[in-house]
Amino acid sequence: MDLLTKLGFSELNTRTRRTVVVNPQACTGCRTCETVCSLVKTGKIYPQMARIQVARKPFEGRFTPHACRQCSVPECLRACPSGAIGVSRTTGAVLIDPKKCDGCGNCIKACPYDMMLFDADKQKAFKCDLCAGQPRCVKYCPTHALGLAEFGARRKE
Amino acid sequence: MTAKSGGWSGHILRVNVTDRNWTKIPTKQYAQRFIGGVGLATKVAWDEIPQQVSALDPENKLIFATGPLTGTLVPGSGRLEVIGKSPRTYPREVVTRSGLGGHWGKELKNAGYDALILEGAAEMPTYILITREEVKILDAGNLWGLDTYATQKRLQEMHGLDCQTVCIGPAGENQCRIATIMSETSFASGKSGFGAVMGAKKIKAVVVDGRGGCIDIAHPGKLLKLADHYRHLLGVAPMREWTTGGEPSEHRINFFRKYRTGNASCFGCPLQCWAFINVPGTAPSQSGCVNYYYLEPAVQYYGESIEADRAAWLGNVLCNQYGLDTFELAGIVPLIRDLHQAGLIKIKDPGFPIGEFGSIEFISGLIEALARRRGLGDLLADGGAAAVEKMPGAWSIYEKYYPAHGQLEHNSVRDYPGIALFWALDSRDPLIDHHAYRHLSVTRQGWPTPHKLNIAQADAISEKIFGTKTAIDHGTYAEKARVVALCQNKSAARNSLVLCDFLYPIFISQSRDDRMGDTSAESHFFTAVTGRDMNEDELDKIGERIFNLDRAILVRDGRTRREDTLYEAYFRDTDSIDPAISQSKHHLVLSVDHTKAVPRDIFEEAKTEYYRLRGWDPGTGRPIRKTLVGLELTEVVKEFYPD
Repeated sequence: MDLLTKLGFSELNTRTRRTVVVNPQACTGCRTCETVCSLVKTGKIYPQMARIQVARKPFEGRFTPHACRQCSVPECLRACPSGAIGVSRTTGAVLIDPKKCDGCGNCIKACPYDMMLFDADKQKAFKCDLCAGQPRCVKYCPTHALGLAEFGARRKE
Repeated sequence: MTAKSGGWSGHILRVNVTDRNWTKIPTKQYAQRFIGGVGLATKVAWDEIPQQVSALDPENKLIFATGPLTGTLVPGSGRLEVIGKSPRTYPREVVTRSGLGGHWGKELKNAGYDALILEGAAEMPTYILITREEVKILDAGNLWGLDTYATQKRLQEMHGLDCQTVCIGPAGENQCRIATIMSETSFASGKSGFGAVMGAKKIKAVVVDGRGGCIDIAHPGKLLKLADHYRHLLGVAPMREWTTGGEPSEHRINFFRKYRTGNASCFGCPLQCWAFINVPGTAPSQSGCVNYYYLEPAVQYYGESIEADRAAWLGNVLCNQYGLDTFELAGIVPLIRDLHQAGLIKIKDPGFPIGEFGSIEFISGLIEALARRRGLGDLLADGGAAAVEKMPGAWSIYEKYYPAHGQLEHNSVRDYPGIALFWALDSRDPLIDHHAYRHLSVTRQGWPTPHKLNIAQADAISEKIFGTKTAIDHGTYAEKARVVALCQNKSAARNSLVLCDFLYPIFISQSRDDRMGDTSAESHFFTAVTGRDMNEDELDKIGERIFNLDRAILVRDGRTRREDTLYEAYFRDTDSIDPAISQSKHHLVLSVDHTKAVPRDIFEEAKTEYYRLRGWDPGTGRPIRKTLVGLELTEVVKEFYPD
């Protein structure tokens, strides 16, 4: 994995930051995003393993998808003692190197949005990797409540 | 090495609340022949609900059945089917079905169960908690009497926000035969009165927490591609004003625009057919087409005003909270007015201001009286049909609007031959299962469907699916028997998968220029999810088997050809229906001439042709031996033809 694991100011300014953005007004709470995410990542319909989660308030008609913000200065990255978390040079996604992750859970505590998740079977952290730049949740969301935003994009070519 | 499989969770949960125990049985024994959903549950009903059991007996069973596609990425896979002997069907209680949307079905599968069979009757109010590890039968003393919203909120406080609940309100507790089973604000299993069955069993709610569970998928890559393909083919346009009814009045459109705060949907559905409506002074609630039934009476009473809007919405929300079927209310409300005007209601204290038709007091009082079985409400809580039977002279008013089975007309029956046959040959309002045929065929009448079809396109689709454009021509009974049988098979198969009737079968595409749909979608999805090869014809065949098993149960319980019919009034011309009633009766007046009689001779001829096509005895309507053998229904052969 080609990851930037130490972020200097110069790198912060030049890297592309992409993130799944959410419009809760448009969300109907159908959970297609969770379903498709878990299917792509695990080959099953496995809501608990979805990297995106919908908070449903059915009695108020409020449905809010929560996705990783792919922070420009990721708290998870700073909290990781094993250098397992870095930023992808190609997609800008904050990624975990599962070979280096020892499952200590510091990143999970550090994430202010609760979007760093824990796989109890493998004893490792996992999170949204933006599907290599083309997130399926965005593609399959039937109401366009999800989108892919790109900030500070500077293409090298 | 075995091939990859998926879809089913693997077990059926059987909970007996008399003995307070539960057991697991494998789904496999049902899946091969009957798939799941309606198929699985009909088989359980054939095996376990004998003729002499009545709906509210402890011996009746209530079966909640999902299918292999429930809770997957397949668009419209949020549903399950509820089956049992229904207290609602009229004149006799029969085994029938009623769908339930929302999120409960997928939660049940995540917990590890394809279906739930409720048996017995508890002594004290009870609720059932199902998790992946265990099943608990718990005391519901402090929930009994609460409305459905309060019940669910209380259960969420106890068992977490992620659990899913089905429950009954006071109407179900008091065994009203028009009581629903509710989930969230507005997902209801409404048309078969199963809320009363839960009430008789003293089961207030079934809470499922399936967190951490999963559903295996045989071919994930294929499913992803298919889901993408068919969603684009469907080209689902978000449903807006249309959700207020087929031909919404201006009031409905204004109301909708004013109070809609967003849309909601069942699990995994692109359709978002539920509008979320928030009228100040009432509880916010999801709503579909029938929920606006009280708007026109209220506007007549108050004029266009906030009071009218509040009255209209209370008419919906209170039904949801007390657990009553809004569809029956849409019929009962104008019926009460007509009976009252004709001086046929003799009860001294009806329990609500019966003369104030259209007011808040009328509707809230009526719903309360129904749910608590007070005054006139006690009579009507058994359904309009059972109530008017006890009022001399009332039947002639009633039967104008109720074609059969004690259920309200749902689309014009008189001048729609196909739809008249659907009604006669079912055990309940059949239209919920035949939206696709209806959407395709009403286009010829110039109905403004959201599908934006023109007649040439509709005819071309009809030719592709049915081989002839006569199939959707409402001027004649020709070809209708064959079309009805085919649609019934497709519907039974779809209800066993379980997919939503509003999306499948895909007769109409909204994205293609020629609007041509694709009826093989269900079989492709089935193969991708379960890993079991299936094509459209094979799936139709399974649908035919399920439909015949359902027929066999009806026949065993006494159904004959004589009962495959409509109420007498439908065979006579009628005077024009008052538009006010028609409006509150939901999208009903679609036709050019809704006053003419169903032609009895031609109707009966079409039935004879139908029995012949089905392989049923045209004299009795009973499936003949050869038919049952061909469909591998050996259990029915053994019972019907023992020699």
